[in-house]
Amino acid sequence: MIKVLFFGPVAERIGGNALQVEHRPGVRLQDVRDELAAQYPQAFEIVCFAAANGEHVRDMSLPLADNSEVAFMARFSGG
Amino acid sequence: MKDAVRIQMEDFSQDEEIRALQASSKRMGGIATFLGCARDFSEGREVSEISFDAYGSMALSELKNLRSDAIEKYGLLDARIVHRIGTVKGGENIVFIAAGAEHRVAALEACRWIIDELKQRVPIWKKESTPQGEAWVTPHP
Repeated sequence: MIKVLFFGPVAERIGGNALQVEHRPGVRLQDVRDELAAQYPQAFEIVCFAAANGEHVRDMSLPLADNSEVAFMARFSGG
Repeated sequence: MKDAVRIQMEDFSQDEEIRALQASSKRMGGIATFLGCARDFSEGREVSEISFDAYGSMALSELKNLRSDAIEKYGLLDARIVHRIGTVKGGENIVFIAAGAEHRVAALEACRWIIDELKQRVPIWKKESTPQGEAWVTPHP
């Protein structure tokens, strides 16, 4: 399984902080994004950043291992 | 001594952080600090409180990277970053940054760089409570 985390404004639009997505061999971060964006278009409208296993990811073609933790995040507003 | 980089619910003491920074080196000739506070007015609305959400483990790791990057980039002797989460009322502290260097220019520039980078890199979000309801903050440039 792939654990998908949401925070702040994205979590509010999803209606929860986490989801599980089944892992498939060869699955990439972009595939997970596309799948969830189709289910939660309003939440993904504001997604600007992605992370895998706690690190920023810019290349959405990143392959995901089973038990990965990913996050789709809105622009940050800390500080 | 408290860690140089922390995310915490409770308020912090600027004096304690500066003392800890000074204690790290007697070669320090300049310390620059930045204190971010909760405003009670934003975008034309009164704000009673601000609540924060964070991707805790990633935010802490990014803050630690930010401190190391600043130390290397500006040749700092030490730096400290503390960010609060949870709920903060108008006028209360949110974030504190202290940068110590041999000379003032490096300390001042590093302090400015750290807060600007923090806003770009660290996964923390703030939501303002107003009489009209609650709203997630859209980042300022």
